[in-house]
Amino acid sequence: MRASVGDRIVIRGHRVGDPDRVCDVLEVRGVDGGSPYVVRWGDEGHESLFFPGPDAAVEHREHASK
Amino acid sequence: MRTIEAVRRSGVGIGPERTIREAAGIMEQAGVGALAVIDSDLLVGIVTDRDLVRRGLARDLPADARVDAVMTVPVVTVDADADLREAFVLFRTHAVRRLALVRAGQFVGMITIDDLLIDLAGDLADLARPVTAEVIFGHHDNPSPVTISN
Repeated sequence: MRASVGDRIVIRGHRVGDPDRVCDVLEVRGVDGGSPYVVRWGDEGHESLFFPGPDAAVEHREHASK
Repeated sequence: MRTIEAVRRSGVGIGPERTIREAAGIMEQAGVGALAVIDSDLLVGIVTDRDLVRRGLARDLPADARVDAVMTVPVVTVDADADLREAFVLFRTHAVRRLALVRAGQFVGMITIDDLLIDLAGDLADLARPVTAEVIFGHHDNPSPVTISN
């Protein structure tokens, strides 16, 4: 996965009825847009480090802002 | 199969100075039951929802207590590129439900017993399918080989 500051990451629900989770990339700690990322969960949520797995997909900034 | 290829979920990490209230909030918002505790790029522990209950709530720790007061140490790790059989050995020899995956000493993800069970259940279903068909429908006799003579 490659991401930039401002991109949005969507983590799909794992069980039936589980909501998708969304976080915004605040900082890229890896090389060339790689992980880990510092992210914020929700509009006013907590910040954490994020290590994407196969359940995560990045929405790049121009796409995520639409 | 490499261990990293069996991982099904993203990993989430926090610093040891964060509070247990924040840890609980991140677990809720991220939909995970465990967080890697990372200090200066080094994995120093894992905190689970169970840790928050047993070492936090049950001991009357305040919500602003540091997360490293309740985290589990030492962490059982496996190299992300190790053969998956190494993960099975570690699950067998340690009383843990999660292993931290590391690469060059740095945390890259988490694998759980649930991840492996789901994969195994799928593999078993694939193996059982032809056997089940044979039990239900019986053997199919192959036709005798045909010899063509000029």
